[in-house]
Amino acid sequence: MKEDIRIGVFVCHCGTNIGGFVDVPSVVEYSRTLPGVIYATGNLYTCAEDGLASIRDAIKEHHLNRVIVASCTPRTHAPLFQGVCEEAGLNKYLFTFVNIREHCSWVHMKEGPKATEKAKDLVRMGVARAQLLEPKEEARIDVEPKALVIGGGISGMVAATSIANHGFPVYLVEKEADFGGFVRNLNNLYLGGKDATEMLKPIVDQVTSNKNIIKCLKSKVAGVDGFIGNYQVALDVDGKEVKDKVGVIVLATGADEYVPEGLFGYDLYENVVTLTEFEILCKRKTLPKISSIAFIQCVGSRGHVKSYCSRICCNVAIKNALNIAENYQNILGKDERGAVVEKVGVDMKAPEEIAERRRRRRGRRDREGGEEEAEAPAPSEGIEIAIFNRDIMSYGLEHELNYNKAREKHVRFVRYSPANPPKVYTENGKLVVDYWHDTLKLQRKMNVDMIVLSTPLVSPPSAPGISKLLKVPLGQDGFFLEAHVKLRPVDFATDGIFVCGTAKGPADITECVFQAQAAASRAAIPLARGYVQAEALTAIVDADICTGCGTCIEVCPYGALRKNMDGVAEVIVAACKGCGCCGATCPEGAIDLSHYTDSQLLAEAKAALQEAIQ
Amino acid sequence: MNSFEPKIIGFLCNWCSYAGADLAGVSRFQYSPNIRVIRVMCSTRISPNLVLEVFKSGADGVIVGGCHIGDCHYMTGNYYTDKRMKLTKELVELAGIEPERLALEWISASEGEKFARVVTEFVDRIRHLGPIPTKNDQKLMKRLEAAAEASKLFRLRLLSGKELRLTGKGNVYGEMIEAEKMDEILDSAVNDEYDRSLILELTKNNALSVKELASEIGKSAEATLGHVATLRARNLLSICSIDGFTPRYKAIRLGGA
Amino acid sequence: MERSVLVVGSGVAGIQASLDLADKGVIVHLVEKDPSIGGRMAQLDKTFPTNDCSICILAPKMADCYGHPNINVLTYSELIGLDGHKGRFKAKVLKKARYVDESKCTGCGECLVKCPTKGIPSEFEMGLSTRRAIYMPFLQAVPRVATIDREHCKHLTEGKCGVCKKVCKREAIDYEMKDAVLEFEVGAVIVATGFDVWNPMVASEYGYGRFPNVFIAMEYERIINAAGPTSGHIRRRSDGGEPRTIAFIQCVGSRNVQLNHPYCCSVCCMHSTKEAMLAKEHKDDVKTTIFYKDMRACAKGFYEYVVRAQRDYNVEYVNSDATVQEETEDHNPVVSFDVGGRSVRKEFDMVVLATSLVPRATNAQLSKVLGVQLDEFGFIKSKDRIFSPVETNVPGIYVAGYCGGPADIPESVAQGSAAAAKAAETLVEARVFA
Repeated sequence: MKEDIRIGVFVCHCGTNIGGFVDVPSVVEYSRTLPGVIYATGNLYTCAEDGLASIRDAIKEHHLNRVIVASCTPRTHAPLFQGVCEEAGLNKYLFTFVNIREHCSWVHMKEGPKATEKAKDLVRMGVARAQLLEPKEEARIDVEPKALVIGGGISGMVAATSIANHGFPVYLVEKEADFGGFVRNLNNLYLGGKDATEMLKPIVDQVTSNKNIIKCLKSKVAGVDGFIGNYQVALDVDGKEVKDKVGVIVLATGADEYVPEGLFGYDLYENVVTLTEFEILCKRKTLPKISSIAFIQCVGSRGHVKSYCSRICCNVAIKNALNIAENYQNILGKDERGAVVEKVGVDMKAPEEIAERRRRRRGRRDREGGEEEAEAPAPSEGIEIAIFNRDIMSYGLEHELNYNKAREKHVRFVRYSPANPPKVYTENGKLVVDYWHDTLKLQRKMNVDMIVLSTPLVSPPSAPGISKLLKVPLGQDGFFLEAHVKLRPVDFATDGIFVCGTAKGPADITECVFQAQAAASRAAIPLARGYVQAEALTAIVDADICTGCGTCIEVCPYGALRKNMDGVAEVIVAACKGCGCCGATCPEGAIDLSHYTDSQLLAEAKAALQEAIQ
Repeated sequence: MNSFEPKIIGFLCNWCSYAGADLAGVSRFQYSPNIRVIRVMCSTRISPNLVLEVFKSGADGVIVGGCHIGDCHYMTGNYYTDKRMKLTKELVELAGIEPERLALEWISASEGEKFARVVTEFVDRIRHLGPIPTKNDQKLMKRLEAAAEASKLFRLRLLSGKELRLTGKGNVYGEMIEAEKMDEILDSAVNDEYDRSLILELTKNNALSVKELASEIGKSAEATLGHVATLRARNLLSICSIDGFTPRYKAIRLGGA
Repeated sequence: MERSVLVVGSGVAGIQASLDLADKGVIVHLVEKDPSIGGRMAQLDKTFPTNDCSICILAPKMADCYGHPNINVLTYSELIGLDGHKGRFKAKVLKKARYVDESKCTGCGECLVKCPTKGIPSEFEMGLSTRRAIYMPFLQAVPRVATIDREHCKHLTEGKCGVCKKVCKREAIDYEMKDAVLEFEVGAVIVATGFDVWNPMVASEYGYGRFPNVFIAMEYERIINAAGPTSGHIRRRSDGGEPRTIAFIQCVGSRNVQLNHPYCCSVCCMHSTKEAMLAKEHKDDVKTTIFYKDMRACAKGFYEYVVRAQRDYNVEYVNSDATVQEETEDHNPVVSFDVGGRSVRKEFDMVVLATSLVPRATNAQLSKVLGVQLDEFGFIKSKDRIFSPVETNVPGIYVAGYCGGPADIPESVAQGSAAAAKAAETLVEARVFA
């Protein structure tokens, strides 16, 4: 048989805030008449030390096993009163808060008796609820103090290093034979004077020399199972299977550059390259001599093929324009080799996909019989540079300063509208950009030696597979979708899995770095604590009723439900946030929500409706 | 002189609408004292059955308050609330109660004024509609009972749960693919299941013929026969007696329930 | 104790940094100069590109922060000294007297309505409404306690009045309270002091201060906020009327070399787009126009948001510089701009200026206290722009959010976490943690 219910009710005057509008003594008096109420009193300020003491004393003196405070809002004061209950040895889930200030005295200041009547109703509802409450414990779940970082580009390396520096072992899994990722394609970073790979070296060295980082090259994640603190992972490390348990996972799988097949002559002309291909040419010092060059922005982005803006391309184009204008590192070449891109050793380009892409294209061109070879232009003093754009996205500080600098260097910025984009073709063996000049209201032509297409970063083909493996969502743009675009930029809704860098959308290198550090910070929290405190308010499955239809698993935003060995739903307590969506959805009514059970809510409603308003 | 004072139950989510109600208090926005608020963590927790039970218990109106679409603390919770309350409204209406007595309102934590306005307007509307004669009207009670039963049925809950997936999940930017077709499916399912539950409710104590049932539920004999066949197939209804050539049906009592 | 970190500034970046560290078991001293934590984000109405209600999503974080057992929240306080080095700093914090005992005040608000000294412009409401000498900056302030403004309080200045003390039943008012200097030993410091809003009165070409119906964006954020000075109704300053046409002018004082603000503030294109959309949501017949240089909608979902503004909210985007050099007799500002090289003038009912968000004027003082370098514009300089964005030239001192250069909310949050990671690493390195 259940214990006797012994309820104590503490009604607060809150100075005159409640007492001035609600007849507190009569509410106290009324409380005493309610079932299970052993003790009731009024306090001038229940939250003041004397008020708190009165709760503490009454729990002991009257052996109260339920406490109700009727005062202000639970949203600010519940922790205070729950703390007092716990001090007096009462489980905090046996505490009930009744809001008679924000929801009563303050909003019915002129109603007098009706406010008092409502306060009584609210207390009666609280009493009905209190009778059905049960003590709850917040489960502690141990966390394996180890992490897995997927992706060995800049983001993955920085994240792994930071977690390792927090003092925890980290698996860093990279599919290729070296760390570095996309950045290795680049010539230089911002306007840095060094080669990007060289600049990356200290970051790579930090990884290779870090004892806490378990370096897994030519590796991939084969399987993941479990939940925060307890992920069983299977890695394929250069052909060998490694199985281990990790507490958290950081996803840093990066992005690819969009291949502009069929756009702006990319398939037709050798001298039309993408931004990254251009960087590779510069990096290998195999850029042909040119006297003019055009960059075309938003190729395949902003509603063209992809709906989004790729954020970084304007700034990369500006950087490259400045590199050319200043003949940085003699990228234009001093010898006579390689007058046209055709003679460039494109096969050398990394990563392999780009080389492959070029091979495919060249094959096609050869079949078509080939274009005319353009003659090397005479080297000139100034190189004509134009950037055809829709808006220049040089956000922030440094990018905007570079934009200004580019204009000072006479880089031409020509705005085009998506309705009337520039056209690219050849005339007498020379590339032409044919465009509408909006200020002059004229169709103009620009002869160029080379055209660089700024194409967006796109989610790599591997993303959907990873999404399924880790049960984390992709957005409509194909990138990984964080838990909240504003306040949880590197978290997934699923606890214990984090995301950073271009895996979640286009970002420049600085942004990748701080996102990676942020993901490391978030991931290190459960590792540092050693445990996660699960919510006490979770869904509860009645295994006898559940038919295993799986609807709850589908609607749960946190992946907190799974089918157990018996084929029925099971709540992963560590992951459940207690929203109750599964319960309202379960076709069998097999799921309830603890502390907000159907019977508790209905009891409150019935108590409210028990008496009509006078 | 109208002396009717409606009693309204408000289910408010902790993160937005309850906070909005708190703000109304802090700002001293005055509103009708007829509402009794029950706090829940998320509006998604409110099942159609709970709302119907509250009506059965004598509420004159129910307000469900949630975060604005896209703001849900639990990300997608309120999309489901939206779907569920649509379904609930249909059931409420089928039971013979004005659907306006159930309101779904999105109220943010900064919309104290809106909360006060919503409550006052709602109370005025209900006052105008008058009381629900739940306690005295056996027929209405039966219909409510049927609606509550229908809301518990596997098929309806499954459909409302799956609807998001079937019509494409709304994303964080509030874009959703509308599917009129889904509405149609759900609509007819709601109607059918309600009729079937009502048949079960009516035949709980009396054995009735298809013709009698048809007139009670206000549907054609043909449609009623269809429901009877379905219920028999589900093992919920059986022939109790045969009156000449007319079979009379009675609900099968399930153990315990 | 060195197992602790000092966080200066309690906007969203500082809050995030504090929560991350505190959750790892680090003790955090969070210093905030204002009476409430929350910073700029608490002032905003909605946030782009989801139109989330700003305070709704921030308030739980503020409450978590204040209630966290590992976070010592010091509001109405300023950092005045820092000695020592990475792993072992000694910080001096000035806790200004608020003349209200934080542990006694319940935030009931009785004193706020009884104080006879009225008419002081509310800082939180951008001066659009007034407060009294004893005040809470906003309704959701954390902590929810009153503060007496010593400049205006009749009792503190003239020894008269004393009404608040009389009405306070909790006896929380203490006119004898003195400023206090607190000292802490900390292992690392995180600076997250945010930005100032540039005052466009300096530049007469925008008419701000001259024409009543020219507003700045932060004012507009308060105007459209349901808890703001006009309860969320968009009202003109001149006659309280509802505008039917609103112009938003971008890059007011930013991307401007003459003013030494050559940078782009990163957020204005998006916040103006949001504000234009919200105008339409508040009143369907409002026509909004945005005058811009480049529409910088360049993060996740931003471009799609602008497309939606054009398609569903009928927001008109005009690619032109714009100024407000005159107004009509009934105080309608007249916007001058270019269309295809032709100069055009058009009357609007209201103009909202997306003013430059600039480094805090107090950064110079702060840089002296901390020893950190500022860049040529006054932002706190990163040690390395590319690979160490949240580190400063001083080991053990980190930077997060707008005070290190333009950043939007998610960037500020990420940087807050990033700075927390670096600070935690510092403590681990100093062997005082983990």
